[in-house]
Formats: sequence, structure tokens, C-alpha cells
Amino acid sequence: MMDRLSAVQKCVFAIILAGMVMLVTIPLLFFITVSFSNATEMTQFPKRMFPSGEVTVYVEPEEGGKYELFYDYKDGNGYTSIITTNSASKLEKHFARQYAVTIDGDELLEEFAKTRTEGAREFTFKKDMFYNFRQFFKIVPNAGPALKNSIIVSLYTILISLSLGSLAGYAIARYKFKGREQINVGLLIVRMFPTVGISIPMAVMLIKMGLYDTMLGLAFLYSIPNIALTSWITSSIFIGINKELEEASFVFGANSVQTFMKITLPMAFPAMAASSMYSFLTAWNDTISALILTNENQTLALVVYKAIGTTSSGIQYAAAGSIVLIIPALVFTFIIRKYIGQMWGGVEL
Amino acid sequence: MSYLEIKNLQKKYTANGPLIVNDMNLSIEKGEFIVFLGPSGCGKTTTIRMISGLEEITGGDITIDGESIVNKLPRERGVSMIFQSYAVWPHMTVYDNIAYPLKLQKLPKDEIKRRVEKAAEATEIQGLLKRYPAQMSGGQRQRVAVSRAIVVEPRLFLMDEPLSNLDAKLRVTMRTELKRIHTQQGSTSIFVTHDQSEAMSMADRIVVMYKGKIEQIGTPMEVYQDSATRFVAEFIGTPPTNFFDASIIKEGKEIYAKGEGFYYKVPASLHQALADYVGKEVDMGIRPEYIGISPQKKEGEGYLCDAEIDFIEPQGSHSILITRIGTNQNVKIHTVDYMDMKPGTKVSCYVKNEMVMFFDRETTKRIK
Repeated sequence: MMDRLSAVQKCVFAIILAGMVMLVTIPLLFFITVSFSNATEMTQFPKRMFPSGEVTVYVEPEEGGKYELFYDYKDGNGYTSIITTNSASKLEKHFARQYAVTIDGDELLEEFAKTRTEGAREFTFKKDMFYNFRQFFKIVPNAGPALKNSIIVSLYTILISLSLGSLAGYAIARYKFKGREQINVGLLIVRMFPTVGISIPMAVMLIKMGLYDTMLGLAFLYSIPNIALTSWITSSIFIGINKELEEASFVFGANSVQTFMKITLPMAFPAMAASSMYSFLTAWNDTISALILTNENQTLALVVYKAIGTTSSGIQYAAAGSIVLIIPALVFTFIIRKYIGQMWGGVEL
Repeated sequence: MSYLEIKNLQKKYTANGPLIVNDMNLSIEKGEFIVFLGPSGCGKTTTIRMISGLEEITGGDITIDGESIVNKLPRERGVSMIFQSYAVWPHMTVYDNIAYPLKLQKLPKDEIKRRVEKAAEATEIQGLLKRYPAQMSGGQRQRVAVSRAIVVEPRLFLMDEPLSNLDAKLRVTMRTELKRIHTQQGSTSIFVTHDQSEAMSMADRIVVMYKGKIEQIGTPMEVYQDSATRFVAEFIGTPPTNFFDASIIKEGKEIYAKGEGFYYKVPASLHQALADYVGKEVDMGIRPEYIGISPQKKEGEGYLCDAEIDFIEPQGSHSILITRIGTNQNVKIHTVDYMDMKPGTKVSCYVKNEMVMFFDRETTKRIK
């Protein structure tokens, strides 16, 4: 039975909790808003908390069939003139770039023609919410293949580190052998090396092996720390699995392969799922090693990194790219979340 | 030839290490309920693990029905086992747990179903077949383990301290239950425990083990009333046997056991056995219920000494009196006659029914 909290305790607890949640969610929310913002919204201050769905412009008719457009019009005060034109193509480009509104230029001119009779007025257009995302893939032409590369390298990394790491974990948990403790600590030391430090010698090795600029080569690098981590996580789970459960299987007619497949593996599955998440995240989020070890076959994280690093005006596109990067990681974590819960005591072993 | 024969069985965990099981010889008849009893580390669990094949043997032989099983894998031996932790697989339903050995034998589905249901019925868990072990109590899990063990119709039924994780009350119930199932199935069983009351109440024969050796094999009554070694006399019985240092003295025709604070006339039935020990030191043991007391001065046949009662532990049906005799500061006397005796009472102690045991100091064997 848990202790009941007094009202004051509850209050303090709620405030602390809310503070912590806000600390995490506000930057994330801001980031999401940026990815849905158009270029004009990017220059505004203060920034919006939630993405807007519409764009309102104030149009005044001018001589020579031209129209003057104002944005951020407030009761006639403080508005800014953005463009004065009568060209349909110019208008179309302006709306797409500045407002993320994809609409035909001639259509706009037709609309604005109303001001000739009715006088200057406001027009509201629907924003194309996924303009930045489309634009990201347009600006970064290799983003599509990079997404595919990222998925491939993540799967390789999971496969390599899970197969080798869990076997090592099993050996550490179940067998007594010389140097067991040293290997255990050694695994941890491997994990301490910054991947970037290993990247240079790895690059030389991979070139010799003909694996430079391949996803398999990159996966080897990512597997180095993750084999260690996987064996640590799984060995603690294997230790937690009572040996008698396996012995019972032997006595009741199973051979060692059957025992491993039907008894040990299903029980260790949560741990494996959890460590596969770590492997996935390493491979998915890394940029610096990918920068060193790849040339043409870049990963998505690297592409996004480059997009952010080389642009000064298109932050919203890079933000959209980052959201693209986050989604698969979120989906993956969501799928295996119940196993992670099991790993920390959801199931009695 | 007996059903199960263990010949010169030995076990070492490391090449130069100590013998965990030291030259064990044992014959078990079909249908017997054998209990291995001993303190922890005496080799009893190692022995049944060697019988089941989970532990390799260092030397000797084990045969079932005249056929050696030592080179067979556990699954080929036709034995089943109940483990201390029950070893019920948590990721399978009760039905799957019980059906697991049958599925591995690739039996037809309807036969598996029939046999699982029969085994579940024997342990009264028919209603729980769809549950997972995590949803069950310890006693219920224990029943699943038993069902799984009987479903394979084993040649030999091994139980490794199966009741030690249960609470005291359930333990007693399960004890009876296991004995009932054993009788129903007509199986041959070996049960390992360090709990002597469990051993006494269940066993056809008890094998008392100590430091890798068999101290005594016998029925519960034999090991209690007729302990073969000092260890058996000390280990079995609550409270345990009271021991006194004594030297054997011959005076004319009589033999006396003389110790600090007592001078006991040895009954004639032991004269011959003790003849070689005259002038030597021995251990004298008397079980708590065979020390009689009398508030009046009572010398004569069986008289031991006079003593003063220090404490009294009432148990309801009887009381345990604690006193000092000679160097033994903690002599326990089981009494039903003087249950509310006051501490400080002076009494005469005597040995009832000549139930005194003498043990050799060197070999610890009983002198008889």
C-alpha cells in the first residue's frame, strides 16, 4: 500500500512534475511549430507556440494593374509592405516561399481584382501544412535514399549487436570461465570509447575490406558499443532467469536448442527488445561517424545535419527534416514499449 | 537386483577439490518413497541431480531396472523432477506447462489433452489450466509442477526440496498431497529435504546424509529410535538428543558410565558391546523424552543425577524442561507429567526404558 500524500505534498509534487514535463515538451513543441511555420512566421517575434493554419494578407490596388501586399496587418498600424507586383508567376512564387501557400498565380490576380471595386481589404488563405516537408525532400535530393540507408543500417546494427551481444551475455551469465570478470569490464571499456575516435581506424579498415561507404561497414562501427551494451543488458536478464527453468526443460525432454528457443529466448525477449532499441537509436541518430565513414551513401541523420549546418534561412526545412528523422524512432520505440516495461519488472521471471 | 541401484557414486566439482558425494551405495525398490535427509551442503541435492542427469558424475554407476543411465542425457532417462523454485515457465499457461513434455514427444493432440487433464485432476488444478503462473499462488504453482512431473509417467520421480518455498501450513498440506499422489501413481520417488519432520512423515525409508556420506538408511522409526551414528542422533528429533561426555568404568560385574555430575549404571544389555570401551571416553546420548524426572529423590534403576530446572518451554501437548547436567548446560527434557513445573525446582533425573545410546569418539558410530 502506498502512502497517501497530503494536499500540500500533492501540490508540490504536481508543480515539480509539471515543471519537468514543460522543460521537456516546450522545446519539442517549439521545434514542431517551426517545422510547420512559413518563412514570414520564422522572422516574427515573439514566436508562436502552436502552428497557424492560415495566412492573412492585406491587399491594396496600385496603378498599372499592380497590387501592394501587406503582411501582419493590424488595424492599419505596424504592417509591412512585402511586395508590389502584377506578375502572376511572381505572386505564386512569393506565396509559396513566404507564406507556404500553394496557389495558382492567375487565381490570386483574379481574387485581388476584387479590390479594384471594393477597395483595399484582407484575404485569408489556407496554409499548405506539409510545404516544408516537401521542400526538405526537394532541397535535399538524397533525403529519400538516405532514409532507406538509415533503415538498412539500423536493421544491420540491431542484427549484429543482438546476435553477438546476447550470446556473449548468455555466456557471461551462465558459464564460469577464466577471464570472465575481465571480459565483463572490458565490454564496458569498449563502450567508453567515443565512436568518433574509433571512426578513423575503422575507416582505414573498412577501406581495406572494401566496406567503406557501405551500410554494412557503418553498422559494424555502430555495433561496437552496442554489442557491449546488449551483452550487459541481456546477461543481467539471463542471470535473472532461474537456471532451474532451463533444467526443467532438459529433464522434461528438450535438447539444448529446443530449450533455448522455447524457454530461454521467450523469457529474455523483453531485454532483447530493449537493447535493440538502444542499437537502433545509435544507428539512427549518429551523424559524425556517418560523416567519416560514408561518401555517397549518406544516412538521414547526416543529411539533416548537413541541411541545418549549411542553411541560414531555411531552418524550417531542416526542422521538417528532423521531424522526419524522429518519426521512425518514435514508431519503433512505441512498438517495443511493452517489452521495455516487462524488462523492468512487469513480468515475474 | 533392485529397481534403482547407486554404486560407489562419487562427485567432485573440481579435479583436486573435495568429494561432494563420497562412495555412495544405495538400492531402492520399485514403488518406494525415499527421502534424502541432511543439512545443507551434505550432497543430497547433488545426488539427485546426478540421477536426473543435470550433473555429471565423477565415478560410480547408477542403474534403473538393471540398465545404466549415467551416459544418457537427462531427457533420455525417463525421470521427472520437481524443483525447489517449482521451475514453472512464466511465459506459458498452465496447460502449456503441463503439455510441454508431451508436445516434445510429438504425441497426438487429443492424447495430450486427455493426459494433461488427467494430471491436472490429480492435483486439483483443472480450473486453472488457462492461467499464467504469475496469476497463481505458490501452492498452486507447486501443483502445476507436480502435474507436469506426473504427466510424463516417469520411471523415477525426483523432488528437490519442493516444499521449502511454501508457508508452514501449506507445507504440511502439500506433504500429505504428495504422499497421496505417490501412492496413487505407484511411482518410485526420491525426495530431498533438510526438514526432518517432512522426512519422517513422508518416507518409507530415510537416507540420512552428512558430508557426502550416507550415515544411515532406515525407516523413520529406525533412524529415530535406533540411530546408527552420533550425527543421526543429533540431527533427527526436536529437540535433539542430549549428549554427555562419559567414561566407561567397570566395577565388579557392573559397568558404569561416569561423567561430570552423574554416575550411571549401564543396563546389562549393553555390557557386551561396551566391554571393549572400559577405561575409554565415549559420547552418551539420551533423547529428551527418555529422561524421566521425579520431584522426589529417586535412586536406583536408571538413576542419572539430581538437577535443577532452569527454564520451561510449554508446548501445549507437552513441555520442554531445560536443565544442566555436568558440562552440558542445555539439557532438554520432554515431559508430559510435569508440564507446569516451576523453574528452580530440584528433581531427580533417570533414564527411561534403558534408552541410552553410546557413540564411539573416533568413528562416531553407535556402540551396540
